[in-house]
Parts: sequence; C-alpha cells; structure tokens
Amino acid sequence: METKREKIRRAFRGNPQLRVGMVMLLVLLVVAVFANVLSPYDPYKLSNDLVSAPSSAHLLGTDHLGRDVLSMLLYGAKVSLMVGTISALIAAVIGTLLGGVAGFFGGKADTIFGGFINVFMMMPTFFLILIVVALFGSGMVKVMVVIGLTSWVGNAKLMRAQALSLRERTFIKSAEAVGESKLKILFRHVVPNGIFPIIANTTMGVASAILTESSLAFLGLGDPNIISWGQIIQNGKAYFLSGWWICLFAGLAIIYTVITFYLLGDGLNRILSPKLRGV
Amino acid sequence: MRQYIGKRLLTAVLCVFLALLFNFIIIHAAPGNPIRILAGTDSVSEEMVAELTTKYGLDSPLYVQFFRYVGNLFKGDMGVSIYTGQPVAKEIMTRLGPTLLLCLTSCIIALVLGTLLGIFCARHAGSLLDTLLGSVSYFFDSTPSFWLGLMLILLFASTLHLLPTSGMVSLRAPAEGFARVLDIMKHMVLPSLSLSLTLIPYYFRIARTSVIQVGNEDFITTLRAAGMREDRIYRKYVFRNAILPVVTVFGIQLAYIVSGSAIVEIVFSWPGMGSYMMTAITRRDYPTLMGIYFVISVSVAVMMIAVDIVYTYLDPRIGRGSGK
Repeated sequence: METKREKIRRAFRGNPQLRVGMVMLLVLLVVAVFANVLSPYDPYKLSNDLVSAPSSAHLLGTDHLGRDVLSMLLYGAKVSLMVGTISALIAAVIGTLLGGVAGFFGGKADTIFGGFINVFMMMPTFFLILIVVALFGSGMVKVMVVIGLTSWVGNAKLMRAQALSLRERTFIKSAEAVGESKLKILFRHVVPNGIFPIIANTTMGVASAILTESSLAFLGLGDPNIISWGQIIQNGKAYFLSGWWICLFAGLAIIYTVITFYLLGDGLNRILSPKLRGV
Repeated sequence: MRQYIGKRLLTAVLCVFLALLFNFIIIHAAPGNPIRILAGTDSVSEEMVAELTTKYGLDSPLYVQFFRYVGNLFKGDMGVSIYTGQPVAKEIMTRLGPTLLLCLTSCIIALVLGTLLGIFCARHAGSLLDTLLGSVSYFFDSTPSFWLGLMLILLFASTLHLLPTSGMVSLRAPAEGFARVLDIMKHMVLPSLSLSLTLIPYYFRIARTSVIQVGNEDFITTLRAAGMREDRIYRKYVFRNAILPVVTVFGIQLAYIVSGSAIVEIVFSWPGMGSYMMTAITRRDYPTLMGIYFVISVSVAVMMIAVDIVYTYLDPRIGRGSGK
C-alpha cells in the first residue's frame, strides 16, 4: 500500500498542468493578499498625469483620471479572486444538493429535480445574468450571487451521475440495511465520495465566473465603487488609441488568472480520470 | 425514435414556456418604470403617464399581461417596442440577420480549424508543435473576447490601417452588388476573428482528446494487430468515432449563437442582436426584452433537440428504433 503522501506525489508527477497552476495560484494569492504593500500608489488616488505612458514613475502608465494602472491591477486581483471563488462555491453547493437529491433518491425526486436541471440547462444564462444585473443594480454581492445562481447546472449533472452510480455500491446498501436515514447517507457517504468531479468542475467554474464578471464590468454593469479588471478595460476603451496600456495590461491580468484556474481544473480532472492520463 | 423526438419536443416547449415566465417575472419585479422613461423628465402630467400605461396594457394584472403575451406569440405578434413604437418581431428580424451571419461564420471557422488542429496534434501527440499549440489554446481559451476585439482593432485598424474598426458596411461610400458583399466581408474580418479565436480552443481540445482516446480503444489495437495501415485505421475508424463530441460542442455553441456574440458585437458596433439587447436593457423596453429572450430560448431549445437527433444518427451505440 502506498501512503497518502506518495499518492499525492504521484498525482503531481506527470501532471504539469497541476504543478504550473499551483505556482501561478500562489503568485496570485500573494498579490491579492499583499496588494496594499506591493502597490506603488493608492489605486483610488487621482493625479495630474492623465493617460501617461508606462515610465519609471508609473511602470504600467496611468489611466484617464491619473490613477496608477499597476496599483489598480494589483488591487483588482482580490476582487477577481473573490468573485470567482464565491460564485463558484455557490454554484457548487446548489449543484451538489440538487444533483445529489435527484440521483440518490431517484423516482419522483429525480423527475422533479432532474427535470428542473434539464430545464435550467436550456436557459441562456449570460442573458439572464445581464438582465438581472442591469435591472436590479450591480453591487458586487449581487453579481456574485447571480453568477452563482445561474452556473450550477454542470455540477448538478455531475453529482446526479455520481449519486446514481454510488447508490448501487455495497457500502451504501449496507448503510441502508443498518437503518441509517436517507438524508444522513446522502451527506455522510454519497456526497463525500462523489464530490471529486465537482471539485475539478468548480475550479474551472472560478475561471468562467471571473470571465463573466469582467464581461459585466466591461458592459458597464459592474460595481462602480470597486476596482475590477473588466472595469479598467471599460474605462480604458475610450482612450485605448492614445493609451493602449490601460486595456492591454488589465486584459493580460484577466488571462493570467483564468489560465491559472483552467490549469488547476484540468490537472485535477487528470488525477480523476485514468483515461485522460498521458493525453 | 418518433416517440423519443416527441418527448424531447414536449420538454422543449415546456422549457421555453418556463423560461418566458421566469423572464417575465424578473423583468416586472425589477425597479424602474418604462413609461416614466418614455414620458421623459420634463413636466410629466399624471394623466399622460396613466394614458400611456393603459395604451401599453401595463395596467392589467400581471398574469393577464403574461397570458395575453403568450397568446399573441402564437399569432407571431411579439408586441410593440415601447421606445421606438415598431413591432418587436420586425425589429428582431432586421437584427437577426447580421448576428447569424457573424456567428455562423465564426463557428464554422472555429469548427474546421479547431478540429483539424486537434486531429493533427493527436496524431503527433507529445511533439514540440503539439505542446506549443496546447499552450496557445490555453491562452485563447482564457482570453475575454471583448478584450481580444479591442486589441485587434488597435493592431489592424488603428495602427496598420488595414481593416475597418466598426459597423457592417461603409457608411461614407455605400456600395451595391458584389462590392457590397466585399465591403461586408471586410468589416467582418475582425469581429469574426475575435469570436473564432476564442472558440477554437474548445474544438481543438475536444478533437485532440477524443482522437487519442478512440485511438487507444481495443478495437483499434485489434485492427493494428491485423496489419491494417495506420492511415486507413484513422480515416475509416478513429475519426468517425472521435467526431461525436465535436458535433455536440458545435450544436451547443450554435444554440447560444444569438446571445453568445453579444459582447463582441458591442465592441465592433455590429448591428446585430447584441447591441439591440443592450439598448433594450438600458431603455427598460419590456416587450423588446421579452421578444429577444423568446427568440434566444427557442433557438437554444431547437438546437438542443437537433444535437440529440444528429447524435443518435451518428452514434450507432445510442439505440435508434428501439423506442427509446
């Protein structure tokens, strides 16, 4: 038998996605946590250097209000990570619950919950998010909740499939025979044993939530009081012929973050599915 | 098979109905009154507001409004835009063409290029080019299409002056006939490039993975052991089996075609559904919003069913004719 540590080491070996993703995530976390120490300027402070090109004073230039782009980007990291993680977690919880109940209980529960999942799958989600945010206002919390509430379908499908196969396994059957309550079995055995694909999918979900948030901010539907990368691009759009640096670097920051989570998700998927090994 | 399609159709109709209901509730629960926006801010009399409210039928109970709306839909009537006074169906039709043109072109380019690159990389898995293309695909997969659009404008339109920055036709020199087609094509290069570049990674990855997976199946090994030539194995057996997931992705992307390109359309001022949607949202134009949502839901539902049906024909393993 190999120990847990050996197992983890083996998972990392031959999985460059996971390794690179981990390192990139670490950098991102350091930036997000120490943004106030790393930033050369206060990102909200206006100055007279309007749309000035990258120089030694402002490494990535300034925007139309004279704010330092580098400092804004560093502060924006926290916002992106927060939005991405919280939305993805909301989606994970809803997906796990709905999919778990549908798959494990089967029968009528599956007809209702499974049907609900199928109906929701056909919802054009981005448009839905757009309408809700545009009509109800665009605070950061609202954006996170709306993205979370609309992106759980993938998780629900995965969890339903997991629960369907798990409920036929001996250890679940024996738990039933011993007389444990159904709900208890669901949360004690089915969910913990079937959660892995949800974890991988949620990691990918962080990436798409960050993309969705930046699209909203780009359309002018982000939280106007918080610096986010999408919003920097939206503001820089009007000046991008004279000040290309505003949009360019903010976009690169989004790409870096999204790649990080895609790599992590991909890496986790590879551990999970032996079919993908060596692909 | 017929029973299966019937069942799927029923689900689809239910889906569209629920989507509409859902959307109706959201729109009407939102703060902001379209009549107030329509009436403007200068010296609005209460009588005028009341009169307009009656005119647009916004004074009857919500459920009446909803069922009246659904009833009218069957007659092909999506109501009248509160802002422009034009029938919504007509406005959507003029907007749908440019969107379909842009999206279909981009999707097909992405499908062909992505799949070919994916197949190529699968057959040369582990090579330098494979690693390189894999990394590039991660990059474009993570790129926001609106940002890519801006960068393309910056590079090709503003700096190199090769292509137009926005719109679908040159307004200053309107052309006729073939020249007009060329003009539209020229305007379409950048928007379709930003869309397809962000779509290619999906096809690339799916094609690559599925060719490799099928190539590792036992029956392929058997063919190999029997001495069949590698080229023939791939052409006759691997590709046919590996193409299924690609078809699914293509169908799903087509389903979201109407809403998927919205943001790129806005960047390039493309006169399609995307920009129409944004203006409708800012104007609180309820009938227009409902109409757009209806068109999107229907197209999603139809495409989902189409994917299912095509799938059953392509994959012999999915029971056809067994009544399932």
